[in-house]
Amino acid sequence: MKAKDIMEKVKDYLSPDDTIRNAVNKMRVVKRDDGIVGVKGMIVLDNEGNIMGMVSVKDILKAIIPFYMTMTELGEFTWEGMLAEMTKKVADKKVAEIMMKDVITVSEDAPLMECADLIVKHNLQRVPVLNKEKKVVGIIYVRDLYNAIVKVLLDDKEVQNL
Amino acid sequence: MTHEVAAASQPFVMDTTFWTATTIFLISYVVIISEKVHKTVVALFAASLMLVLKILSQYEAFHVEELGVDWNVIFLLIGMMVIINLMRPTGFFEYIAIKSAKAGKGDPMRIMIIFAVVTAVLSALLDNVTTVLLLAPVTLLIADALEVDPIPFLIVEAIASNIGGTATLIGDPPNIMIASKAKLNFMDFIYNLTPIVIVLMVVLLFVIKLVFGRKLKTREELKQRIMQMNEKEAIKDPLMLKKSLFVLGLVLVGFVFHGTLELQPATVALFGAGLLLLLSGTHEPHHVLAEVEWPTIFFFIGLFILVGGVVKVGLIKWMSLKMLAVTQGNLLATSMIVMWFSAIASAIVDNIPYVATMNPLIIDMAKQMWPQETGLALLRHPDLMPIWWSLALGACLGGNGSPIGASANVIVVGMAEKAGQKISFMRFVAYGFPIMLLTVFISMIYVWLRYYVLNF
Repeated sequence: MKAKDIMEKVKDYLSPDDTIRNAVNKMRVVKRDDGIVGVKGMIVLDNEGNIMGMVSVKDILKAIIPFYMTMTELGEFTWEGMLAEMTKKVADKKVAEIMMKDVITVSEDAPLMECADLIVKHNLQRVPVLNKEKKVVGIIYVRDLYNAIVKVLLDDKEVQNL
Repeated sequence: MTHEVAAASQPFVMDTTFWTATTIFLISYVVIISEKVHKTVVALFAASLMLVLKILSQYEAFHVEELGVDWNVIFLLIGMMVIINLMRPTGFFEYIAIKSAKAGKGDPMRIMIIFAVVTAVLSALLDNVTTVLLLAPVTLLIADALEVDPIPFLIVEAIASNIGGTATLIGDPPNIMIASKAKLNFMDFIYNLTPIVIVLMVVLLFVIKLVFGRKLKTREELKQRIMQMNEKEAIKDPLMLKKSLFVLGLVLVGFVFHGTLELQPATVALFGAGLLLLLSGTHEPHHVLAEVEWPTIFFFIGLFILVGGVVKVGLIKWMSLKMLAVTQGNLLATSMIVMWFSAIASAIVDNIPYVATMNPLIIDMAKQMWPQETGLALLRHPDLMPIWWSLALGACLGGNGSPIGASANVIVVGMAEKAGQKISFMRFVAYGFPIMLLTVFISMIYVWLRYYVLNF
């Protein structure tokens, strides 16, 4: 089996010019293959469909927490309502400013072992899958890979050739 | 007061070696100023050229104080950096900052004044970069809590750190370099520079009050946010904090008496670093040592060798002759020119390479003025002392003139940008340049009065 056999097709994506407010809305309403609504991360594509980056829930939280809090040990010195204040401050920030730009991707023909290795090595939640033209065709989620492994462990005859 | 300018004791020729060294020196400085290549890379490469082209022998670069690396400066910087790296995680600086904000009762104007004073004192005792690096984040937090513009606070802190750092031998790298070359001790700085720095700080506080007195306002409920903070929570490691303060106190006492004890400041700082490392009980000194600002250290190393090359070929002596020709050996004129020229130069370029060049230039000038003197008698010639103080005041205070004039400014501008508050070049200049002119003007009056009129 290869990456393309277990990936989910790309249904929705962000543009670099989306505001954080738009981005969270898109992430909230998108429907996954397993029927659950809402995702914790989304790819960012330019107008030609080239991958620019990826935005996850963590990136959004990072954008809200002021950098001086992360830089020093000032966690004890906050006030009631600070998080809401800071959240409103970044509502109109562009996705381009907060996305992770160095996205780790795999090709659609990559073996699953390679996908597993990357996911563990870089502590990833999702890996975009690229075709030969370097366009994103899908995304592999940790759970997709995990589900494939579960089937092996439970002796499912269909997936003995990971 | 004029002196007969003695003929150069070692005649030099403007041969190929002279021009090669001069070209390397000039090109390096242009590239450092342009910031196209990192200054440390430029300095190290230029230094290696001086050695490869045999302008300077390796022995001269490593072992001859007049021509090569000034290890006093290098190890004083490393020693202090290690002490601060060990102190930083204890939460001491955050504690001081929060306590200061509470002492100001949450009032932005009062907080600005207290922060300026705290920044100046810490900069005098530690170093400017560390001080603003640790205080700026807390400043941003407090500005957010009070819903006021943080930029004036940050700029005032940078300015206060440059003024405060002028006060002591360890306060600012130019002072460390001047002290080592001129064999000045810690108390010389306390007697000669600290009084004027205190005056300058008082003036700065008046200016702050005048400029921001009416503007800085916040609401009562926002002040409560500050008052509800518990500074004690900042202390992460009380035991290590006690050890750090003990060692820092010991080091400062060591500095005060290093002249009497006949110990170099670098020795005192290294002893402090070694002792605190031992007391910290660390089995992994790796990260403490890794956090030493090696690019800065290597910048100094490269710079000393680079300047050593042009000292050896006689470029610096030639420059000192030109300077004597301008001043006609008049010491008051020399002091004033050195101070103002240093201030303007330090506002435009990094004051570290500037002072690295000026130190040997002033020593060469002294050699021509008092050819019969050598060693300490020459370096600490009573008539030369005001010129050293003028160089220190000009170089340190000049840093306030622009956002690139001092490392503290660069850090503050960078922090503001990260916080989404851009400080434009001109906005910094609007605050910094008038303050620079004012402080240098007052310093000029001070040097003239103290050393040329009252003579004490």
